[in-house]
Amino acid sequence: MDELLQFLIAGLKNGSIYALVALGFTIVFAATGAINFAQGEFFMLGGMLGVFFAGLGLPLPMAAVAAIAATAAIGAVFELLAVRPIKGGDPLRIIMVTIGGSVLLRQMALHLFGPDELPLDPFTEGPSLKLLGAAVERQTLWIWALTGLAVVALALLYRRTTFGRAMRATSIQRDAARLVGVNARAMVTASFALAAALGAVAGLAVAPLTQASFHVGAGMGVKGFAAAILGGLGSPVAAVGGGLLLGLLESLTAGYIDPLYKDAVALVVLLVVLFVRPQGLFGGSGRVKM
Amino acid sequence: MRGRTLKLSMAVLTAALAVSLAVSLAVMTAACGEEEAAEGGEPLKIGAIVSLTGTYAGLGEPEKNVIEMEVARINEDGGVNGRPVEVIIEDDATDEAKAVAAASKLIEQDGVVAIIGATGTGQTMAPRGDVQRAGIPQVSMAGGTVITSPVDPLVFATPWSNLIVVPFTLEHIKAQGITKIGLITDSGGFGKDGQAVIAAVAPEVGVEVVSDQTFNPGDTDMTAQLTKIKNSDAEAVVFWTAGAEAAIIVKNAVDLGIDLPLFGSHGIARREFIDGAGAAAEGVKFAAGKVLIPEAYGEGTEAYTVATDFIDRYTAAYGQAPSTFAGHAYDALYLVVEAARRIDGEITPEALRDEIEATSGWVGIGGTFTFSPDDHNGMTVGDLTMYEIAGSEWTLAE
Repeated sequence: MDELLQFLIAGLKNGSIYALVALGFTIVFAATGAINFAQGEFFMLGGMLGVFFAGLGLPLPMAAVAAIAATAAIGAVFELLAVRPIKGGDPLRIIMVTIGGSVLLRQMALHLFGPDELPLDPFTEGPSLKLLGAAVERQTLWIWALTGLAVVALALLYRRTTFGRAMRATSIQRDAARLVGVNARAMVTASFALAAALGAVAGLAVAPLTQASFHVGAGMGVKGFAAAILGGLGSPVAAVGGGLLLGLLESLTAGYIDPLYKDAVALVVLLVVLFVRPQGLFGGSGRVKM
Repeated sequence: MRGRTLKLSMAVLTAALAVSLAVSLAVMTAACGEEEAAEGGEPLKIGAIVSLTGTYAGLGEPEKNVIEMEVARINEDGGVNGRPVEVIIEDDATDEAKAVAAASKLIEQDGVVAIIGATGTGQTMAPRGDVQRAGIPQVSMAGGTVITSPVDPLVFATPWSNLIVVPFTLEHIKAQGITKIGLITDSGGFGKDGQAVIAAVAPEVGVEVVSDQTFNPGDTDMTAQLTKIKNSDAEAVVFWTAGAEAAIIVKNAVDLGIDLPLFGSHGIARREFIDGAGAAAEGVKFAAGKVLIPEAYGEGTEAYTVATDFIDRYTAAYGQAPSTFAGHAYDALYLVVEAARRIDGEITPEALRDEIEATSGWVGIGGTFTFSPDDHNGMTVGDLTMYEIAGSEWTLAE
C-alpha cells in the first residue's frame, strides 16, 4: 500500500511537469496549427536561465521570475525571426523551422552555459514530508502548486481577459478574428511567448531535483508531445489530463513491470489511443477549441 | 536583353575570380603550414575522438583541454625524437555513427598512426571495424569492461576498469559487516557493465544482491526503484552510473528516508555530483584512483609529483581542478607519445602498437600502467582508494 502510494506520488510529480510542457504544445498548436518542436528547449532554458540568474546573486524567487520572463522573450523573438517570415503560415514549414530552432537553442545553451549539469537550490529547504507512510519531497509540492497555478492562470487569461479572448478567436477562425480587429500575427507571437513561459516554469520546478543541463530539452519535448497527443491536442484540460496520465503510467510501469520498459509502455498506450481515439482521450470531437 | 546577359556573365566572372583567389590563398596557407612544420621534421599525426557535444560533453571537454595543453608542452620540449606532435581532434557528438565517421576521416584523410578515444564506451566500440582494417593502435578513455575484455590486440584503455573497481568496492562493503546490498544501475554501457560484473563478483566476495534495480539514462526520478530497495532487507545501496542521474539517486534516497550507507562507482568522481546532490551527497562512498587526493600516494613519491604537477598546470590554464576524465586523456596521450619516443627509426602503426603493449611501470594520472598481451588496462587494485564525501569535499575513507 505504501509502495503504491509512493508510485502514485512519483507519477503525479512527473506528470505535472509533462502537463506544463504539453500545455505549451497545445497553445502553439491552437494559434498556428503546427507542432512546436522547440518546446522542450524552452523547458531546458527555464532551468538553465534560473541557474544563471541565481548565480548572478539574485534571490531565488527573482531569479525564477527573470528566467521565465527571459524564456518568454526568447520564445517571442524566435517567433518573430523564424516563424513569422513563413508565408501563409504553412504548418509544415513552421514544424521544420521549430526543429531547426530547437537545435540552435540547444547548441547556444551549450556554448553559453557549458556542458556540465548545473545545480539549483530547492525552493524550500528541509526534509521530505510524510504522507501515510510515503514520502513527499518539498519540491514536489512546489511542482504541484506551480502546475495548478499555471492552469488556473491560463484559464482566467482565456476566459476573462480581452487578450485571451482575442487569442481564442484567432485559434478558432483566424480571418474572422482579423476582420473584427484582432491582430492575428501578434497573437501567434504571444502564443510562442506563453508556451515558452510555461516550459520555463516546468524547467525551473524540476531543476532542484534533477539539475539543469543543456541536453534535456529533446527528451522532455517528446514526453510533452506524447502527453499532448494522449490527452488530445487543442484543449488545455486535455493536455493536463494527458500529462498526469502519462506520468502515472510511467511510474506504475517502473514500479510493477520494469523501469526499462516505462518509456515503451507509455508510447504503446499512446499508439493504442491514437488508433482507437485519434482525437485523444479528452479531445472531444477533434475540433480545436481553447 | 543583351546588356542583361553581359551583366550576368560579369557576375559569373567575378564569382569565378573570387573562388579562384580563395582557393589559391588556401593552397598558399596550406603550403606555408607545411613549411613551418617541416622545420622540425614531418609531424607525428595522432587522431583523437572526443564527445564535445551531446550527453558526454561534460567529459569530453576536459579531455580536449588536456590534449591541447599537453601537446603544446610536448612540442615545446622538442616533440617526439625531434618531430612535432600533431593531434587532430574530432567531435563525435556522443553518437556512435559520428564516431565511425570521425575514425574513417582520421585514418583515410589525415593518415594518423594512432587514435585516442573515444570518450564513451559505445563510441569506442563503434569504429572498431575501421581501426582493425587500418591496423592502428587505439587508446580509449572510456570505462567499459568490453573495451579490453576480451583483449583486442589493437585496443587499450586508461580508466579504472569495473573489473578492478567492483571487487575493491565490494571487499570494502564486506569489511563493514554488510552482506546484503540493494543495487541500482543504468541501462547504458557503464551501468550495465557494472551490473554484470557485480553479479559475477558478489558471490565470490560473500555479498548478496537482494534487490537489483535499473533505470534508463536520462530518467529524472528513481523513487520507484528506491522504494523497492527500501522495502527489501538491503543493508546498503550500491549505485553504478556515471551521469547526472547519480545525484538524483542519492537525493531521492534521502527524501524517501532510506537510512542506509550509499556506495557509488568511480563515475561519480566529479565535482558536479557533489554540487548536484548537495547535502544528500554527505557520507556517500566510492572507489577511484588516488589522483583526487594525491596525498594518498604518499608525498614525495613519483606518482604524487606527476599528479600534483598535472593538477597545478591544468588549474592554472583552465581555472578549475581537472576531473578524473582529464586524467584519462593525459594517460591516453602519453601512453602513445612515450611509446613513440622509444621507437628507433620509422614510427609505423605496428611498431607503435608493440611499444604501447610493452609499457611497464609507467606512472600516469590514473595509476601505474603495466600492459601485457593479456592486460590492456594495465592497472591494479593497488591504484585505487576509497573516498567519502564529507563537508562537500572528497576525503579519504577510513
